[in-house]
Amino acid sequence: MSSTQKDKNAVPDKGKILPAKEGVRKAITDFLKQSLEKNCFDAILIPVKVLDTDSYAWVLLQDESLLDQADPLPPVMTVQGGKALSSLTKHGEMYHKIAAVMRPCEIRAAVELFKLKQINLDNVSLISVDCPGAMPLSDYTADPESTKKTFENVFGKWEDSSSLRSVCQVCQRFSLPSHFPSSPLASTDSQNDADSSASDLHIGLLGGQMKQVYLIPVSAKGTELLEKLDLPPQDSLKDWESKAKGMVDKKIKKRDAFNKKWLDEVKGKDKFIGVFDECINCHNCMRVCPICYCQQCYFDSQTLKLTPEEYLQRAEKRGALRFPLDTLFFHLGRMSHMVLSCVSCGACEDACPMSIPVAQIFTAVGDRTQKDFDYVPGRNREESLPLQFYLEDEFCEVEVPNECKERTIGEGK
Amino acid sequence: MPNALKIKKGVEEGLNDFLEFLLKTEKVRAVFALKKMNDKGAVSYSLITDPDELKNAVPLYPLMPVNAGKALSSFTLEGATEEPVAAVLRPCELRAFIELVKRTQGSLDNILLISLTCGGVFPQRSVTKGNLKTLLSQYWESAKKADIDPNIRETCQSCEHFVPQLADVMVVSVGKKNIDKECTLVLNTKKGEEYAREAPGSTLSEEIETAETKKLKEKRKEKNEKMVEGFQKDGSGLNALVKTFAACLGCHGCSQACPICYCTLCDFDSKTQEYKPVSFDSELEQKGGLRVPPGTLYFHLGRMSHMAVSCVSCGMCSDVCPVNIPVSSLFSIVGASLQEVFGYVPGRDVEETVPSGTYKEEEFAEIGEQ
Repeated sequence: MSSTQKDKNAVPDKGKILPAKEGVRKAITDFLKQSLEKNCFDAILIPVKVLDTDSYAWVLLQDESLLDQADPLPPVMTVQGGKALSSLTKHGEMYHKIAAVMRPCEIRAAVELFKLKQINLDNVSLISVDCPGAMPLSDYTADPESTKKTFENVFGKWEDSSSLRSVCQVCQRFSLPSHFPSSPLASTDSQNDADSSASDLHIGLLGGQMKQVYLIPVSAKGTELLEKLDLPPQDSLKDWESKAKGMVDKKIKKRDAFNKKWLDEVKGKDKFIGVFDECINCHNCMRVCPICYCQQCYFDSQTLKLTPEEYLQRAEKRGALRFPLDTLFFHLGRMSHMVLSCVSCGACEDACPMSIPVAQIFTAVGDRTQKDFDYVPGRNREESLPLQFYLEDEFCEVEVPNECKERTIGEGK
Repeated sequence: MPNALKIKKGVEEGLNDFLEFLLKTEKVRAVFALKKMNDKGAVSYSLITDPDELKNAVPLYPLMPVNAGKALSSFTLEGATEEPVAAVLRPCELRAFIELVKRTQGSLDNILLISLTCGGVFPQRSVTKGNLKTLLSQYWESAKKADIDPNIRETCQSCEHFVPQLADVMVVSVGKKNIDKECTLVLNTKKGEEYAREAPGSTLSEEIETAETKKLKEKRKEKNEKMVEGFQKDGSGLNALVKTFAACLGCHGCSQACPICYCTLCDFDSKTQEYKPVSFDSELEQKGGLRVPPGTLYFHLGRMSHMAVSCVSCGMCSDVCPVNIPVSSLFSIVGASLQEVFGYVPGRDVEETVPSGTYKEEEFAEIGEQ
C-alpha cells in the first residue's frame, strides 16, 4: 500500500491501550463511565441484561450504575443495534449527546440507515467493538446458561467456532468497519477520509490477549473524545492490526467458499423454491431486518389482494395454489429491495421460527450483488447508495454487449 | 342425532376420498386444505382444483402453518366465492374465520365447512426437526385413546373447544379406536347432507359429543387449570409482565400470525406510536435509563385489549415467537376471563356481535354505580 493511499484510508497508527485486569468488558464499561462523568456524553446506548432474566435489551442510559449490568458484547444479538438507534433518532437529533456502543455489523446497518435518512447522527458518536460473533438466538433461548458458556469460550480464544451463528462464522468485517479488509474491498478513493468513517471510535480487542483493549480514534469526534478524557493516542496498534488482518484474510477465504456453496444450493427456480418450502409467511425476517425500514411493507399492503375468482383461476393454472400467496415473491422482492445494503447481521435468520437459512442466502446474494456495484454497505457515511446514484456508463455491457468488454458483470472492477 | 357418512377406510384416506368425490362430481370447484410441500414434512394450505393434486393433500396433519381462518379471509376478502369451495380447517381456525366474517373480513357464502374433533397440532417447528413420522404415529395413538398428546402445542393441550360447532361436515378424529379402518363424517347441517348425497360410503347416525370427547375435555380442563396456576405462581403485576416479555424482539410476529389481528397497518407499527426525540429526552431524564425501541409492554397490552375478546386460542402467536415467550397461554387466559365477563364465545355464532362493537345501555352498570 502506498503512503498516500494509507493516508486516505486513514488507518490510525496510534491508539490508547487500556489495561483490562478485570476483563475486557469491565475495561470498556469503566471507560464509558469515565466518559459520562467527564460529560463527553449525556447518555449511552448499549445492551443491558434485563433484571432477573437472561434477556438482553438495548438501553439508553444516563444513570452510571446501569452500566454495571451493561454488556458491550452479549452472547446474542437481540434487536439489531442499527434499528435501535433508528428508533431513537429517526425523527431528528435528541437534546442529549449519545454514544452508541455496537457490533461492527450494527454500526454498518446504522450507516446505511443514516444514508436512508432513518438515523440522525448529529448528536451521536458511534463506538464499534471487535466482534467475536454471536450465538444463535434459538440456542440461547433454549439454554441460556450453557450457550453463554460456549460463547465465553469462543470469545476468549478468538477461534472460529461452529457453534456461532452461520453468518458470524464467515464474517470478515468483524473489526473496524471502515478499514478492514484493507484491500480490495475497502475504498481506495478519497471517500474513506476520517470524517466519513463508519464509527468514531473503535475498541480493538484482538491482539490484546484479553488483558488490554485498544482505543482507536477513527474520526475527529473520536480523537476529541480521547483528548477530553486525557487518554492521548500514543500507543502502537501493531499487535491489534496484524492479528486483525490475519483473521480477516482467513475469514475472506471461508466466506468465498461459503458463498459459492450457497449460490450453488439455490441455483435455479426449483432449488430456490425448495429452500422456502417451510416458510409460514410470518415476515419476522423483514420485521427484524435493520434495512427493511418501511413503515408498511409493500408485500403486506392491499395491492396484492385478489378476488376469489382470480384465486381460483390461478389455482386452476397449476392444479393447486399455495396459501398465503406469493411466498417466493415476498422473499425475492424483499431481497431486491434491500440486498445491496445487507450487512449480513443474521437477525433475519435468528427470528425465523422455521430455521430457514435466510441470512446465509441473503449474504451470498448480497456479496455478489454488492460486488457488481463495488459497494460495501456501511463502510463509509458519504458513499452513496448504488440505486440512488447515477453513473452514465455503468453496466454499459448490459446495454451494448459488444462494445464493452473490459468488465463482465459479477467480476467487479 | 345427525346423520353420518361412514367410509371403510382409514380416517385420512377416507376424508381424501370424500374430497375427491366433491371435486370430481363438480360439487365444489376447489378444495382448501393442507398439502405437502416436500417429503420432509413442510405443509401449506392450498386451494386445490385438480383432483390429482389431492394425493399430496394432508388435511388431518396436526400442523398449522398459518391459521386457516386467516387464509380463508384473504381468499374471500373481496367478496364471496361464486362457486362452492370445500374448506377443511380445525375448530379454532373455523372460529377465527367466523370472527373475521363478523368483522367483514371474509364471507361464509358458498364455503362448505369441514372440520374435525381436534387432537391438537404440533408446534410448526417440529417440521424442521426431521422426526415428524415418529411424532405422527404417536399422535394418532393418543387420538384413538382420547389422550393429550405430549408433543402438541401448549395451547392445544389445554383447549376445551376442540369439537367444532358450526361445521357442515365433522370428521371424527379423536376417541375412536378404529380410525385406522373407518372414517366417520358427521353431517352436521342440511348443507353438509346435501353435499354428501351420493358420496361413497354408508349412512348412519352419530353423536357429535361422545363419552370419549367428554373425557378428553376433562383432561384438557385439568391441564388448563394447571397452566393458570403456573402463571399465578410466577407472580402478577407489572414486574411479572416485564419479566415475561423481557426477551421480546419487537418483531410483532405474534400480531402478524394472529387471525384476529387483521389490520393492514397495526396501530403499534404506525407513525402515531413513534417517539419524538423530545419524548426520549424527557423520559431519559425521568428514569435514568430506557429500553430502546420503547413500548414493548404497551404493544402487547394494547394488542391484547384489541383482540383478546375474540382470541380463539389457536396458538399461532407462540408458535412464531422467535424467543419462546408464552404469548398464547397468556392471551388464552386473559381472553377466557374477558369472554366470560361478556358471556361471549368467539366463533360460536356468526350472528352474535362482537362485544366491543355492541352497545347495551345497561351493561356493566355496577362499575359506574359503585
